[in-house]
Amino acid sequence: MTRRFWMTGAAVCAAALAVPGAAQQQTGAQAGNFRLNDQDGKVVELGKFRGKTVVLEWHNPECPFVRKHYDSGNMQKTQAAAQAQGAVWLTINSAAPGKQGYQSFASAKTLVAKDGIKASHYLLDSKGVVGRGYAAKTTPQMVIIDPAGVLVYQGGIDDKASSKKEDIPNARNHVLAALGEMKAGKPVSVKETRSYGCSVKYDGVS
Amino acid sequence: MPMPFLRYVLMIVACLAAMPLMAQTPPTHIAASLIAESDTPAAGKTVTLALAMKPAKTWHGYWANPGDAGLGPTFKWTLPAGATAGEAQFPVPHTLLIAGLMNYVYEGDYAHLFTITLPAGLAAGTKLTIALEADWLACTAEVCVPESGTFSIPLIVGNGAVTAMRKGQFDRWRAALAKPLGSAAHYQVSGGTIRFGIPLPASATVGKVTFFPLTDGAIDYAAPQIVRRNGDLLTVETKAKGSAGELKAVEGVISLGEGMGLSLSATPGAVPAGGTILGETAGAQSSDGLAVTLALSFGAALLGGLLLNIMPCVFPILSLKALSLAKAGGDERTVRREALAYTAGVVLVCVALGVALLALRAGGSAVGWAFQLQDPRVILILLLLTSAIAFNLSGLFELGTLSFGNRLAAHKGTSGAFWTGALAAFIATPCTGPFMGAALGAALVLPTAAAITIFAGLGLGLALPFLLLGFVPALRRRLPKPGAWMDSFRRILSIPMFLTALGLAWILGRQSGVNGMTLGLMAALLLGFALWWLGRRQSAGGRGWIALIPALAAIAAIIVAIPRTPAMAQETAGGMLAAEAFSAQRLAALQAEGRPVFVYFTADWCLTCKVNEKTAIEREDVAAAFKGKQVAVLVGDWTDGDAEIGRFIETHGRSGVPLYLYYRSGAAPEILPQVLTAERLMALAV
Repeated sequence: MTRRFWMTGAAVCAAALAVPGAAQQQTGAQAGNFRLNDQDGKVVELGKFRGKTVVLEWHNPECPFVRKHYDSGNMQKTQAAAQAQGAVWLTINSAAPGKQGYQSFASAKTLVAKDGIKASHYLLDSKGVVGRGYAAKTTPQMVIIDPAGVLVYQGGIDDKASSKKEDIPNARNHVLAALGEMKAGKPVSVKETRSYGCSVKYDGVS
Repeated sequence: MPMPFLRYVLMIVACLAAMPLMAQTPPTHIAASLIAESDTPAAGKTVTLALAMKPAKTWHGYWANPGDAGLGPTFKWTLPAGATAGEAQFPVPHTLLIAGLMNYVYEGDYAHLFTITLPAGLAAGTKLTIALEADWLACTAEVCVPESGTFSIPLIVGNGAVTAMRKGQFDRWRAALAKPLGSAAHYQVSGGTIRFGIPLPASATVGKVTFFPLTDGAIDYAAPQIVRRNGDLLTVETKAKGSAGELKAVEGVISLGEGMGLSLSATPGAVPAGGTILGETAGAQSSDGLAVTLALSFGAALLGGLLLNIMPCVFPILSLKALSLAKAGGDERTVRREALAYTAGVVLVCVALGVALLALRAGGSAVGWAFQLQDPRVILILLLLTSAIAFNLSGLFELGTLSFGNRLAAHKGTSGAFWTGALAAFIATPCTGPFMGAALGAALVLPTAAAITIFAGLGLGLALPFLLLGFVPALRRRLPKPGAWMDSFRRILSIPMFLTALGLAWILGRQSGVNGMTLGLMAALLLGFALWWLGRRQSAGGRGWIALIPALAAIAAIIVAIPRTPAMAQETAGGMLAAEAFSAQRLAALQAEGRPVFVYFTADWCLTCKVNEKTAIEREDVAAAFKGKQVAVLVGDWTDGDAEIGRFIETHGRSGVPLYLYYRSGAAPEILPQVLTAERLMALAV
C-alpha cells in the first residue's frame, strides 16, 4: 500500500511539474511546457517547437460554440492561415472520459478527417492537466506563444460572444489579428480577451 | 464499456418520450414566454414586460455575466414608433460550480423584466405590436444548447389596468430582482486579492453572502469568497484577476441569501481588513479568526488547569505523588514515563468530559434549545453559574470532600500513573468544579473546536506541574508544602469570579432592561441565600442539599420569566415620531384630513437610511416640531422588497431607498434630499 501510495504521489508531482505554475499562464511570460499524445499516439512536447509560433486551441466537437466556428469554416480558415505563416497549431481536447466531447485515439482521427481540422496535432488531455494549467475554461479558447516561448495572447477566438454563424463576418478574429501583427514585427495589441463558449468538460463533479 | 452504451439507450428513450411534446412547443430546454403586466397600457406611461423562463429539470439559464463559461442572454426589440425599451433587469442569480468552473445561473423558474415607455398622444384603442428576439444559452452540467425565440405581443392603448393575477405574478418577479444598494461601495486590490467594502447596517441579518460581479476581469470567479462583517461594513475578499488593478469601477450584485440581492457599483478606495467571518468558508478558507479564538481559549484553559493544582483537594494528591517520585529517585526513565502516563490520563478524561458535554449540546439544539449569548436566559444561567462558583471559592459552602488522596497515590507503574491522572481529573471534579464550571459555561456557547480545545487545555494545565516534576528532578524538592495558604488563595480567587458575574449582570441589563437585570440579581441573591444555608448545614455536619430545591424552583421561574426583548424606547414600533406603517390608502386618508404627512422609506440593509433615522429623524426636537404642527409620519419598510412600496418609489423617479417625501395639504409632495438633517425636517413643520 505504501509503495503504491508513494508511486501515485510521485506521478502526481510529475504531472504538476509538467506545467510550471500549474494554475494560470501569465501573458508576457514563458508559457509552461507540456507533453501530450496526439491522435496517432505520438508524444508532442510544446518545448520542441521553440523557434516557431504556436497556437493552442481548446476543442470540444459537440459544443455549439465550437460548431459555430467549424461548421462555418472559420476555424479551419484560421488554422490554414496560421500554418501558411509557419505557425504550429495544437488543438487540445481536455474533456474527461464519459464527458461531452471526449475523444479516444480512434475517434479523434475520424473527427479530424470529418471536420477537416487543419491542426498540426490533435492532442488528448483527458486528465485535464494541461487545460487546468492554462486555465482553459471554455471551448473554444485560444493561446498564442511566440517563437521565444513567450505567451503573447490568451482569450477568445473573436469578439462577438454568440453562438450564431452570422456574427462571424462582423467579428474581430483575435488570432488572425495577433498573427498578422507578429508577422509584421509589431507587438500584439490585444493581449487578453474574455473567451466565450461551453465550459471545458473536466473530470470531477465540483 | 457499458456506461456510454447505457447512456445512448437512455438518450433514445428520452428522445422518444419528448417527441409528442416537440410537436406542439418550440424545442427549447428553457421554455420562454413574453407577458405584459397590462394588456391595455396607457399612452405616455410605462408598461412592464416579462420574459418568463422555465428551465426543464437539470437545465439552467445564465445571468448577464455567465461566469467562467456560458453566455448571457441577448434581447432585440421591435417597438412602435416613439416607444423605448429599458435595459433587461435580471433576478439575483446563484452559483453553480461544475468541475472547478464557476457558472452564474438560474436553475428554477425566473423572468427578465423590461420597462417599455410608450409615447404620449396615442389614441385609446390603438393597436401596438411589440416584438422581441431573444437568444439564450441553456445548459446542464454536461451539455449546452443555444436557444432563441421570437415573441410578439399585441397591446391596445388603454388605461393601464392590471389584473390581480398579473399583479401577483409581476410582484413576485420584481421581488426577485436586485435592489439598488443606495450607498457608495469600494474595492481595494492588493497582492493578488481584491476586497470589496459594502456599506450594510450591522443590524441587518444576512444568509449566505456571495458577490456576483457584472464587470469581467475583477475576480477569479471560482475562487472562494471570504465574507466578513465589521460594524456597518460588509467585506468580501477573494482572488483578484490580473487585470483588476486597471479597472475604474466594478459593478455587480451582492447576494445576501434567500433570493435577496443588492446591486452596486464599487470604485477603488481603501477597504479596512478584519471583522467577523461569515459563512461556511470560515473554517477552511480563512482560519485566522478561528485560530485567535482557539489560541485564546486554549491559553485561558491552560491557566485554569494550572490553578486547579493548588485547589485544596488536588494539591495533596500532587504533593504525595511528587514525594513518592522523589523517594523513588534512581530510574529517571520510569519517572518520565509515569509523568507522561499521568498527563495522558488527565487530558483524556478532560476531553471525554468535553465530548460528553458537546454531545448534550448537540442533542439540545436538535430539540430546539440552542445556546446563544444573544438570549438573556443563557446569560442569566451563566450569571448564576459564576455566582455559585464565586460563593464556593469564597468558602460559603463546600462541594463535598475527598478522602482518597492516599489511595490514588498508592498506585504503581505506568498504568497506575495513567489511572491516577484519570482519577485525579475525574474524581476530583467536585473540587475542580469551579473551573470545570467556567469551562463548561464557555464550552456551551463556543464553536465545537474551541470547546474541545478548552477541555484539552484544562487537562494539560492540570497535568503540567506533574509533567515538570517528572522531567526536572530538582523541582521535586522545591515543592511547597500543603497548608492554610491554599485556603486563602482560594478565597482570593473568588474575586475575579464575582467580577465575571458583575460583567454578566451588565450584559443581562443591556439585553432585557433594568427589570430583567433586577430579576437576574434577585435570582443570584436567592441562590446565595440557599447556598449559605447549605454551608451552615455542612459545617454542622449535615448534608442539606434538599434545601436547595425550593430556591432552584424559584430561580427556574425567574429564568422563564426574564423579559426577552430589550425595553429600549426608541426601538419600539413607531418610534418617538409615532410613525404608522405606510400604505397608499393611509396616505390618502391622512391627506383627506388635511394633515401634512412626512413619508419615509427604509430597509434594514440600507445604511444611509439607518444613519438618517438616527441623526435626523428619530430625535426629540423633530418629534416635538412635528407634533406641534400635527404632522403625521408614515414609514415604509422595503427590506423584503415589498412590491407596492417598490411601485410607489418608482413613481417618484427613484429606484430604491432611501426616499423622503413631505406632503403639504393640497400640494404635490416635496422630495427631500437623501442625506437628511434634523434642521431640514424641522424647517418643514413651521
